[in-house]
Amino acid sequence: MNMSRKLTWMLLIGVTTLFSQCKDSGDEVEVDDENELITSVTLTFTEVGTGTITKFAYKDPDGDGGNAPTKFDTISLKANASYTVTPEFLDESKTPVENITEEIKEKDFEHLLIYTPNPTSLLTYTYGDKDSNNFPVGLTGTAKAGAAGNGKLKVQLRHQPNSKNGTATPGSDDVNLDFNLVVK
Amino acid sequence: MKKYFLLILALAIFSLSKAQNTDCACFIKGVVRDQHSGQPVIGATVLLEGTTNGVFTDEKGRYEIRNLCPGSYKLEARIVGYNSYKQAIDLTAGHEENFNLEEQEVHLKDVEITAHRTDAPSSQPLTILSGSDLEKTRGQSLGESLKGITGVTTMQTGSSISKPVIHGLHSNRVLIMNNGVRQEGQQWGSEHAPEIDPFVATRMSVIKGAAGVRYGSDAIGGVILVEPEELPFNKTISGEVNLVGFTNGRQGVASSTLQGGIKGVSGFGWRAQGTIKRGGNIRTPDYFLDNTGINEKNFSLGAGYRNKGFGVDLFYSRFDTRIGIFSGSHIGSVTDLLNVINNGEPFVKSGFTYDIGRPNQNVTHDLLKAETHYHFNDGNRLQWTIAQQINNRNEYDLHVPRNDSIASLNHPELTFKLNTLTNDLIWDHKPIAGKITGQVGVSSLYQYNLMSGRPLIPNFNQFNIGIFWIERYVRNNWEFEAGARYDYRTLSTHRIVSRQKVSNDFTFSNASGTIGATRNFSQNFSARLNAGSAWRAPNVSELFSDGVHHGAAAFERGDSTLHPEKAINTIASVKYESEKLTIEIGGYFNYIRDFIYLKPQPDPILTVRGAFPYFKYTQTDATFKGVDVSADWEFIKNIRLTSKLSYLKAYDTRNDNYLVMIPSNRWDNQLKYTIPEFGKWHNLFLSAGNLWVARQKRVPSNSDFSPPPAAYSLWNVQAGGTMHVSEKQQLEIGISVTNLFNTVYRDYMNRFRYYSDDIGRNASLRIKWKFGA
Repeated sequence: MNMSRKLTWMLLIGVTTLFSQCKDSGDEVEVDDENELITSVTLTFTEVGTGTITKFAYKDPDGDGGNAPTKFDTISLKANASYTVTPEFLDESKTPVENITEEIKEKDFEHLLIYTPNPTSLLTYTYGDKDSNNFPVGLTGTAKAGAAGNGKLKVQLRHQPNSKNGTATPGSDDVNLDFNLVVK
Repeated sequence: MKKYFLLILALAIFSLSKAQNTDCACFIKGVVRDQHSGQPVIGATVLLEGTTNGVFTDEKGRYEIRNLCPGSYKLEARIVGYNSYKQAIDLTAGHEENFNLEEQEVHLKDVEITAHRTDAPSSQPLTILSGSDLEKTRGQSLGESLKGITGVTTMQTGSSISKPVIHGLHSNRVLIMNNGVRQEGQQWGSEHAPEIDPFVATRMSVIKGAAGVRYGSDAIGGVILVEPEELPFNKTISGEVNLVGFTNGRQGVASSTLQGGIKGVSGFGWRAQGTIKRGGNIRTPDYFLDNTGINEKNFSLGAGYRNKGFGVDLFYSRFDTRIGIFSGSHIGSVTDLLNVINNGEPFVKSGFTYDIGRPNQNVTHDLLKAETHYHFNDGNRLQWTIAQQINNRNEYDLHVPRNDSIASLNHPELTFKLNTLTNDLIWDHKPIAGKITGQVGVSSLYQYNLMSGRPLIPNFNQFNIGIFWIERYVRNNWEFEAGARYDYRTLSTHRIVSRQKVSNDFTFSNASGTIGATRNFSQNFSARLNAGSAWRAPNVSELFSDGVHHGAAAFERGDSTLHPEKAINTIASVKYESEKLTIEIGGYFNYIRDFIYLKPQPDPILTVRGAFPYFKYTQTDATFKGVDVSADWEFIKNIRLTSKLSYLKAYDTRNDNYLVMIPSNRWDNQLKYTIPEFGKWHNLFLSAGNLWVARQKRVPSNSDFSPPPAAYSLWNVQAGGTMHVSEKQQLEIGISVTNLFNTVYRDYMNRFRYYSDDIGRNASLRIKWKFGA
């Protein structure tokens, strides 16, 4: 049984080694700063002619889950007025706040903003920019308000890496917000 | 913890005798014994196949079958909890000259029988996949391999990720025992397949129903035992090479095993095994699925030593896979999902490639196990198993981060590192009065999980200790068993909430029990009844989920006040077994108190990607009722019909509603023609079959984005055979075609059913070369 005893000792040593690996997983919890979020979307409407600036925002500072969104403005426009529209996307869960708009601009060839009013008579959007492949982007554009009325304005940021073709179909939504829209 | 005995039943003596030349006065007798303990095995059935001659071994393990005519017989030894064993016996006229009273001892021979004993409750149905049934599944994943068993289905994420489902329960409710160690990966995730290479196993068994007493927490739906063969102690070098090719995905699998003893050193055995798998994009009947390749490299090493009653085994295995996730399944919002569903086919089109891009999963699983046992001379046996598992899971999203400096790191968006230590000490006490056997065990588990990336589940430390005691009493044709277990668990979780660390502590405890009886009415007919309980503590995702589940387009929120769910399962089965006809009918009733499920909430949750339907982990009471029927009938010589029916009805009794993601009923039929001998070939066969899967009609209303898919019917054909190249070499060849008519279908249990059709026609060629002993 000499052999057996030796093997038993070897096992015991093995066990000791294994158990010395215990670890407190709490020591390893850390904030993840690589995870990209969009926590706020702000649409800046600058009235053509008067230069009056109005901002409408959606804010969910801690991202999905946790606390509910803190702000979801109703877009209020003057009937038949024209506006320059510039969106801004921020990640406010990080310090310092991360500007996602810059990153969209750098990679405009894989992003497309889509503005869809419902009913369509409320607003007409015209793209004011193009990417390197001559497809629209939507980081700047003009919106012409229609006659007075109530409805929605859907703002979508389509992420379309390697598939952007100027239409909405490819890719997936990074932003999909239905702002309330009032034209008066 | 599972363990199995490798017993050598020595059917010690075959004395063949013939008093007078022409009379049917031959007899076979012997003893069935446990090699290690030397204890006789009581109550084993020994019978001659195709006859009504059968006996049970007595208190001393003896049996005797008298009044046999000269001829060829197949002797079979069977006992509940053991693998049945068959041995061909020749009592032919050719030996007639030896058949006289004076030379009674001439035919005396020692036959070694290797039989596995499973520690599963013997009164619970145990289905074993081994031999040619297992060979047919070679090249497939673990979940796919088990699909042929009645009552077992799969939950899939596309074609490459499949998880076994037993009687409608899966993930954390099914326990997998890999080579005697409970498999610990990130089971809670529906897209996390078991990290096991099926080529490691020569036997895969499924215990249906709650088996919490023997195996501990999580064994609510059942237990899957993945077992390699006993190491080849003192044997010469042998091995096998398996090659499998599939047309769909142009997948190739190569696996080989080399094993032996050490020459000149008695008591040693070793084995080395490795598998390589490579597959590309899967094709549905009409289109390729982009990024559905797989790349897998696994190996295992085992060594052991035996000296009289002492034994030690060391085992190491590594599973390493890289799986592409169909890129068309990526959605950002509910609008995206509805667009794909309305389109009827994926927007992403693709051709064939072996390349795997984002999204993908890279998973490694390492298992190191040491097991030692000692058989005392008086029949007591002690076994100690210790194992460490390191599960490393990296998941990459479809999109790289927009920020170039972060993107260039190419870090996975989700990383899980789970480290588990298990320790099991089991004492099999010596038989009391030759009739009562039993075991007492202590199992402990310690694990910690480290997670980084997109917050999904918290980091945690978990400790579990369980004590169990099972006794088995055999008398005449009855076998009774009863057992009890107590578990205690602590769980500490750590997560970040609003950039602050938040820690929570939980303790869970539970008592479970099992009671059962088996009755052998004759050597052909037996019945079993078992009532068992099992429990499961809520897992971290059920406690702490808080976000959008992208595959499901649902906002899921956990509840940290959940308590453990408890199952009481009653299962009854009757089995008739003869040479021409085998029928097994089993019925089960599994009542799960505080069943944890995702309950739809009335108001959606608003996120930057729009509003998502809101589901919250909630507890209810659920029942799982079902029937499994399997029949095998040789209605014409060499032509067999095998039919398997699985029927299941799951219900939420507290809310008077159905449950989601329950497999639908199915009926599987196979017709097989066998040519036992043809020149050098053995067991040549040709078979054709059909699988019919019903539409799942029992779903809660308004709980899903699209209704359950229609019923479907798939045809398949197979052919194969074994060629004995030489005495020590054997070649086995099999060809098969699944989804023969390239039927377009979607399965309710495939999570990608929203996005695409299921896999199309797939032909495969399987070659196995066995050499050595």
